[in-house]
Amino acid sequence: MTPLQKRARLLIWLRRIVQVFSLSLFVYLLLNAANEEAGTGSSFFFDIDPLVQISTILAAHKVTGMWLLALGTTLLTLLLGRVFCGWICPLGVVHNAVSWLRQRKAAFRLRAGAWSGWQRAKYCLLIGLLLLTLLGANWIGVFDPATMLTRSLSVGVLPGLYYFVDASSAAIYNSDPHIGPLHLTGISEPIYHLFRDRIFLGRQPVHPGGALILLVFIVAVALNLYRPRFWCRYVCPTGALLGLFARRPALRLTSINGDCNNCGLCTRVCPAAAEPERQDEHLAGECFGCWNCVEVCKKGSLDFRFAAPFSRGVSAVDIGKRRTIGSLLGGLGGLALFRISPRAQGLDHNPELIRPPGSLAEPDFLSRCVQCGLCMQACPTAVLQPTFDEAGLEGLWTPMLRPRPGYCEYECKRCSEVCPTGAIEDLLLEAKKQVKIGLASFDTTRCLPYAYGRECIVCEEHCPVPDKAIYFEEVEVPLRDGSTRLLKQPKVDPDLCIGCSICEAKCPFTDLAGIRVTSAGETRHPRNQPILPEASTDEWGY
Amino acid sequence: MPRQTRRTFLGGLAAAGGAVTLGSVGSLAQTDVADMSITRLSADKIEGVDLAAIADELTRKSIASLGGMQRFVKKGDEVWLKPNIGWNRAPELAANTNPDVVATLVGLCLEAGAKRVRVGDNPCHSARQTYRRSGIAKAVEAAGGEVVYLDEKRFKEYKLNGDRLDAWPLYKEIVDSDVLINVPVLKHHGLSKVSMAMKNLMGVISGQRSAWHQDLDLCLCDITNFLKPHLNVLDAVRALTANGPQGGNPSDVITPCVVAAGVDIVALDAFGAELMGHDPTTIKSVARGHAAGLGEIDYRKLTLKEMSI
Repeated sequence: MTPLQKRARLLIWLRRIVQVFSLSLFVYLLLNAANEEAGTGSSFFFDIDPLVQISTILAAHKVTGMWLLALGTTLLTLLLGRVFCGWICPLGVVHNAVSWLRQRKAAFRLRAGAWSGWQRAKYCLLIGLLLLTLLGANWIGVFDPATMLTRSLSVGVLPGLYYFVDASSAAIYNSDPHIGPLHLTGISEPIYHLFRDRIFLGRQPVHPGGALILLVFIVAVALNLYRPRFWCRYVCPTGALLGLFARRPALRLTSINGDCNNCGLCTRVCPAAAEPERQDEHLAGECFGCWNCVEVCKKGSLDFRFAAPFSRGVSAVDIGKRRTIGSLLGGLGGLALFRISPRAQGLDHNPELIRPPGSLAEPDFLSRCVQCGLCMQACPTAVLQPTFDEAGLEGLWTPMLRPRPGYCEYECKRCSEVCPTGAIEDLLLEAKKQVKIGLASFDTTRCLPYAYGRECIVCEEHCPVPDKAIYFEEVEVPLRDGSTRLLKQPKVDPDLCIGCSICEAKCPFTDLAGIRVTSAGETRHPRNQPILPEASTDEWGY
Repeated sequence: MPRQTRRTFLGGLAAAGGAVTLGSVGSLAQTDVADMSITRLSADKIEGVDLAAIADELTRKSIASLGGMQRFVKKGDEVWLKPNIGWNRAPELAANTNPDVVATLVGLCLEAGAKRVRVGDNPCHSARQTYRRSGIAKAVEAAGGEVVYLDEKRFKEYKLNGDRLDAWPLYKEIVDSDVLINVPVLKHHGLSKVSMAMKNLMGVISGQRSAWHQDLDLCLCDITNFLKPHLNVLDAVRALTANGPQGGNPSDVITPCVVAAGVDIVALDAFGAELMGHDPTTIKSVARGHAAGLGEIDYRKLTLKEMSI
C-alpha cells in the first residue's frame, strides 16, 4: 500500500465518522423537535441547505432565516466540491449505507460506476423546480434531502419503529412470561420506557398519510441496489445545485504521475459516477470528494490536490440548451398542473384543509412550506398530518389537521417554533390562542342530545377556550314513549371558536363525529369568512 | 393478599386499641380517630397567603386528623396517588390538583414506609404537556414519587358487575396497587355541576370513556364501588367556580384554602358540593352514591374533625 493510499484510507475513515456524526445529529435534532423544552435548533440542516434557503428567498421574495449558514455551505462547495454530498448530507449517509449492502461483482461495479446521461436529470429537475419556485410554487421540499429525510423519518420510519417497540413490549407486558421469579417484563419494560420517555418523548406517532411517504422513501433507498447512490446521482436537486457550484472547485482530483494503466478500479468504487478514470478531466461537479478512488489506485496515480479556484481543466456535465428549455417548459407545465383548480386560485375552500395555527395565507404558505414534516414531528397530539390531495398537487405533504386521535393543544405552539421556513409564523402563545384555524359545527343528526335523546356534552367539557366556545341550552326533549327528558344541547359560539378540533377528537362517535371542524372562518383567509362577527353594542344599544 | 377496604382498615385500628393519639380532640364526636377531616385556613388569613406553604400544612393537618398516613399505608406498600392531572393548565387555574398537596401526600406515604409511591392519571390533554404544566410531575419527582404515564395498551378489562356497567378497561397497575389514594381538585363541571372525588376516578379508565357522560352518575357509582379508594383527599386550596372542568380564566378561580380528607368518598363529595354552594342532594352522583350505599351524604354524621389554622 502506497503512503497515498494509507492517507486516503485515513481520510475515508474520517469521512465515515463525520457521516455517522451528521446522521446522528440529524436524528437527535429531529427527535428534539418534539421536546417543547428544547430550543429551536431542529432546523439546522435546513439552515445549511442552500436549496431550501434559495427556494424560500425566491418563493417568498424575502431574505429569511439562516441564509448565512447556507452561504457557508455554498462557499465550502466552491472550495472543496460536493463534500456536502459525500461527507455531511444525512440522506446521503443513508444512501451510502444501503449502497454498501449490495455485494458487487466487478462487472456490475464497472457498469454501475460509469457515467450515464441520466445524471443530467437532476439538473433538469433543479431548473424546473427553481422556475416553479420563482413563480411562487415551492415544490423543492418533495425532493430536497433534508426535507425528504425529515418527513420520511417523522411520519414513516419513526412511527413504524415506535409501533414495533410499543406492540411487542405491550404483548410481553400483557402475557408476562416468567421463569420463576424472573419476569421478561424486567427487560422489556425499561427498554420500552427508554423509547417512550427519552426517545419518543411520550408522544405516540400515528400517521394516516405516512404510508405513502414511507413507501417513496423505501423505493428511493432501495434504488441504491440498482445504482449506488441512485438518488444523489440522478434525482437530488440539491446535489445538482451544489454540482453547479462545484464545476471548478479548488480541491480537485489530479493525476500525479503517468502510471495509470486504465485498470478501472477507480470507476468501480466511484459512488458518483464522476469518471475518475479521466483523472484531471473528471466530472468535478459530480464528484462527492469521497476519496475512494485515491484509496483504491494501486499505481498511486490519483490524489486530491488544490488548484486555483475556477481554473479550467476539469470536465463538466453539459446540460444543453434544449434540455434547459425543456426543463423550463416542464416547470411551466407543472405550474399549470398546480394552478388549474379553483381551490388553487382561491375561488373555493377545502373544508378539510385546516392548517396549523400561525400558518400564512394559503398562497404564501405554499410558497414557504418545504413539506419537511418537522411540525408533524413536533406536534404532541399527532394532529398534524401530511396532505395528499387536500391542498391540491402543489400542497402535497404539507401539514393539515386531522382531528382524531389528535387535536390542536391550546397551550402549545411547538409546530410554529420548529418550522424552518416561517410558513407557520411563530406567534406568542397568547396570540396563537386567538388565531382561528377553523370553526366547529354540530351534525344534529348524530349529536347525541339532538339526535338520540342522550345526555353528553363531552365537547363542552373539552372546549379549551376559557369562556367556552361551546355552550349548552337545557331543552325538554320528547322521547319515544311520550315522556320528556331535560337535556343539555350544545351550541357553538362562532366568535369564540378557534377550530382547535378537540371537540371533534373527543366526540363519542369515533367514526364520524357529531361535531366537526371545517376551515371556515380561519383567520389567515379573508375570503373564507361566512360569519360576520357579532357587533358589540354601544351605549345606545346599537 | 386480600384487598384492604375501609372496613379492614378500621378493624385494624380498633385492634390497635386507639394507639393513635391526636393532638387536638376538640371537635371529635365519640372516638379519637376521625373518618373525615376538614382543615381550613381562617378566612382572615387567606389574603396574600403563600398558597404553596399553606397547601402543605393543610394537607398534613388533614391526614393527621385521620390518624396519620400510617393508618392507610403500611410498610412496604405500593401506593398509587391519583390526582386530577386532566388538563394542560397551570396550577393557578385550578383545573388540576394542587401540586403541593400531591407532593406532601407523596412525602407522607414515603414516611409511612411505602415501598413505592406512583402518581398517574389518564389526562384529557397531551399527557406529557399536562403533567408538566400542572406542576405535578416536578413536585412529585422532588418529593421522591414516581411519575407514571398511563399506556393505552396496558389497560385491562375488569368485571365491574355494576348497576350500569358490566366490564370496563381500567389501568392494571392502579387496580393492583396496595393502596389507592384519590386526590381530586374541587371544580366546576358543565354536566355534573361539580367535579370531585368520584368524578376524579374517570382518570383510571380508558376505552370509550366519553360515553359515560350519557349516564355519568351511575357510571361513577360503579367505578367507585369497584375501586373503593382507601383514602380520598379533596384539594380545595384553589377551586374553579366556572367554565370547568378546565377553566382558563384566573377570575373563575377562588381560594377557599381548604383540604378535606376521608375514607367516605360520598361524604367528602357532599362536603365539596356544599363548599361550592350546592345542596349535596342536588348533585346526582352524590345522591346516587348515597343511595347505592357507597357512603353517607350527610357528612356531619361521620366522626368528623374540623380544624381551622
